Amino acid sequence: MKPSARNLAVVLAVSVALNAWAQFGPFVISPGPYHWSVTIPNSAFNFTFGLLWLPVVALAYWRDPGGWLWKLFLLKDAAEGTWVFGYFDSPIGWTIADVFGPLSSAILLHLALAFPSGRLEDSFDRWLVRLVYLIVLPIQLLGFLFLDPCAPEGSCGANNVLLLVRNDQLFFLISRVGLLSPIFAILAVAEVIRHWRVATPAARRIVAPVAFGMPLVFLVLGAWWLAPAIDRDDIRVFMLQNKAFDLPIYLTPMVFLVGLMQARLARGAIADLATELGRGIPLGGLRDALARTLRDPTLQLAYAAPDGSGLVDPDGRPFEIPAMRSETRLERDGQLLAVLVHDPALLREDRGFVDAVGSVARMALENERLSAQVRAQLDEVRASRQRIVEAGDAERRRVERDLHDGAQQRLVALAMRLDAARGTTTEAQALIDQATAELGVAISEVRQLARGLHPTILTEAGLRAAIEALAERTPIPVEVDGDAGRHPANVEATAYFVVAEALTNVARYAGASHAAVSLRAADGQLVVEVRDDGRGGADPARGSGLRGLADRVAAIGGTLEVSSPAGSGTTVRASLPLEGPVA
Amino acid sequence: MTRIVLADDAVLLREALAAGLRAGGFDVVGQAGDVEGLLRLVNTETPDVVIVDVRMPPTHTTEGLEAARTIRAQHPKMAILVLSQYVETRYAVELIRDDPAGIGYLLKDRVTRLDDLADAVRRVAGGGSVIDPEVVARLLGRPRRHSPLDELTPREREILGLMAEGRSNQGIADRLVLELKTVEGHVRQIFSKLALEPGPDDHRRVLAVLHYLKPE
Repeated sequence: MKPSARNLAVVLAVSVALNAWAQFGPFVISPGPYHWSVTIPNSAFNFTFGLLWLPVVALAYWRDPGGWLWKLFLLKDAAEGTWVFGYFDSPIGWTIADVFGPLSSAILLHLALAFPSGRLEDSFDRWLVRLVYLIVLPIQLLGFLFLDPCAPEGSCGANNVLLLVRNDQLFFLISRVGLLSPIFAILAVAEVIRHWRVATPAARRIVAPVAFGMPLVFLVLGAWWLAPAIDRDDIRVFMLQNKAFDLPIYLTPMVFLVGLMQARLARGAIADLATELGRGIPLGGLRDALARTLRDPTLQLAYAAPDGSGLVDPDGRPFEIPAMRSETRLERDGQLLAVLVHDPALLREDRGFVDAVGSVARMALENERLSAQVRAQLDEVRASRQRIVEAGDAERRRVERDLHDGAQQRLVALAMRLDAARGTTTEAQALIDQATAELGVAISEVRQLARGLHPTILTEAGLRAAIEALAERTPIPVEVDGDAGRHPANVEATAYFVVAEALTNVARYAGASHAAVSLRAADGQLVVEVRDDGRGGADPARGSGLRGLADRVAAIGGTLEVSSPAGSGTTVRASLPLEGPVA
Repeated sequence: MTRIVLADDAVLLREALAAGLRAGGFDVVGQAGDVEGLLRLVNTETPDVVIVDVRMPPTHTTEGLEAARTIRAQHPKMAILVLSQYVETRYAVELIRDDPAGIGYLLKDRVTRLDDLADAVRRVAGGGSVIDPEVVARLLGRPRRHSPLDELTPREREILGLMAEGRSNQGIADRLVLELKTVEGHVRQIFSKLALEPGPDDHRRVLAVLHYLKPE
């Protein structure tokens, strides 16, 4: 259930209304006379202090709209208003006021034990609360069957609508049960302190105000009851004492308020957690972050095994949930992602908090899983791109081999046969000469085509030799500087084709008078650079040659930079990793 | 008659080559498809000239060059003509660097002119050097900045190229239809302009010229 501002407003309005009824009810329904303490200023004072309960109710509602805590606060407000019914000029009203008067104390005890979850978490608490309600309602009702309030002055049975038969002894006996109240109060205090003792560090902050505030409330009450030295006839002392009794009334909402605000602060830790996880955490850091946020150093994090066979710990070893521990399952679309294994007290204290932390953790895990998936896909795409380039290279080598071993040899052999036929017949001589010339052109073209596909010198003698051979074929002076040594075939081929393309562009477009190629292998990288002194202004996005080169370079995890300011020459630089693409 | 052993893994071409050489008056005493077979033939036949393709099994890269080196080490007097599908100046220079006598590097296209092939075989058989004109053209035509080569006249460049191909002064004179003395004058002029030691024998001269021309 999600909190809504509208419902909160209704809840608060009901709380204010009940408070107003409890304080001003008598003035509304009765012309008087009133009890001496029931005055407008007194009521206004009490009403104002009663407003202290509003933030308590609001926080309780906001924390858990589906829970019992805020409802108990409202019930307490309602119970506190029942005495007002005594001002109805009716036996029913008087009876209601008398019967339900003590109920608010019982609810307060219930609240203290159920704080902050709204639930009674262990069986002792449940029995204690049941017993108190039993005494306050049915047993007291039983007594009322025999009570005539006007006695002993004379029967005025009309005051008690429940009166069955007057029996003072029976009523006295039954009402003695009420003497157990201090015992229940002490038990409740002890229980609340026990709650604090067994609480996790996170929950202690929340429970502490109630655990130590409530005993203080009872202490103040007891101290005033037990103080014998006070002259009760002195009206000023009496008034002071009366106000002192009110002190617990003012203290109680404060106690709950501080507790709930602590709980609110604890929830703030979720924001910290989300921020921390959002920044990215090192592997295994998730458990520590969750343990910190939940303040449970014993927290364990187990993941659903990838093959669905159960749970594994962060190191991938099979994981069993130990006995006496609680688990919070993190699921996505009904599929288990991970399990938080923690102190069972966490759930008792604030299931919503654990769930909220779980949600944040789930998002982080989901995030981690998705990014791992994306990484894996990216790796796969990189690998496949590299395979495509390598397959292309292999294909070029194969085609070059086929040309060399097939067409080239055949053409040359044919040319030789033709040459041998020269001079044998004069008629055919001109035709043979013409055929020989054409064949020579064909041979030359096939040779250049085959060499361009894959220069054998690159495979055999390496990059430096192959680039020198390229430089020789370039129509402007090209200096070749540096020697990169030998490297994996795909790296050498890529570097070679970068230089080949760059030098082709230099010769065709740059209008350069001179170019320089440098080769350098250092820090796990092979860097080839081609500089010219031409007109610059080359746009790598336009020429498909450079674009294709950039793809080729990227396929082995390298980068290609083209710097070509107009009028200042062009520099093409490829940096190629020598260890294959880095994932 | 000059005895020749041929090695090329392309059977069709090898046969055509053998036929052409026989027609040109040479004695082809053996053919091999790989280096191993070639070395065996060289040892059993001790030919005057070995013609070997650069690229042969198993790696199809530079097995022929390796074989040439091996043969040179075992039979220093045996002439070797290496055929290459592609113009790689590096290979040519490496091949003749140590001992240019009786060594040739010829582009495969060249053998389509049987006369050229026969000429090359005769020159290496006679202890000369042969560098394919296209290799020389590449070396000579290699663009450079501020080179003494710029000082040469077109005729001198032409003669420098013929020297680099391994031709003697007489060969150059024949080729250009010039007087021998004229050629010698040009050669002196070239050596002076390039600041090379004048007057070595023909194949030493090739080395000097190639060394001058080769990149770095």
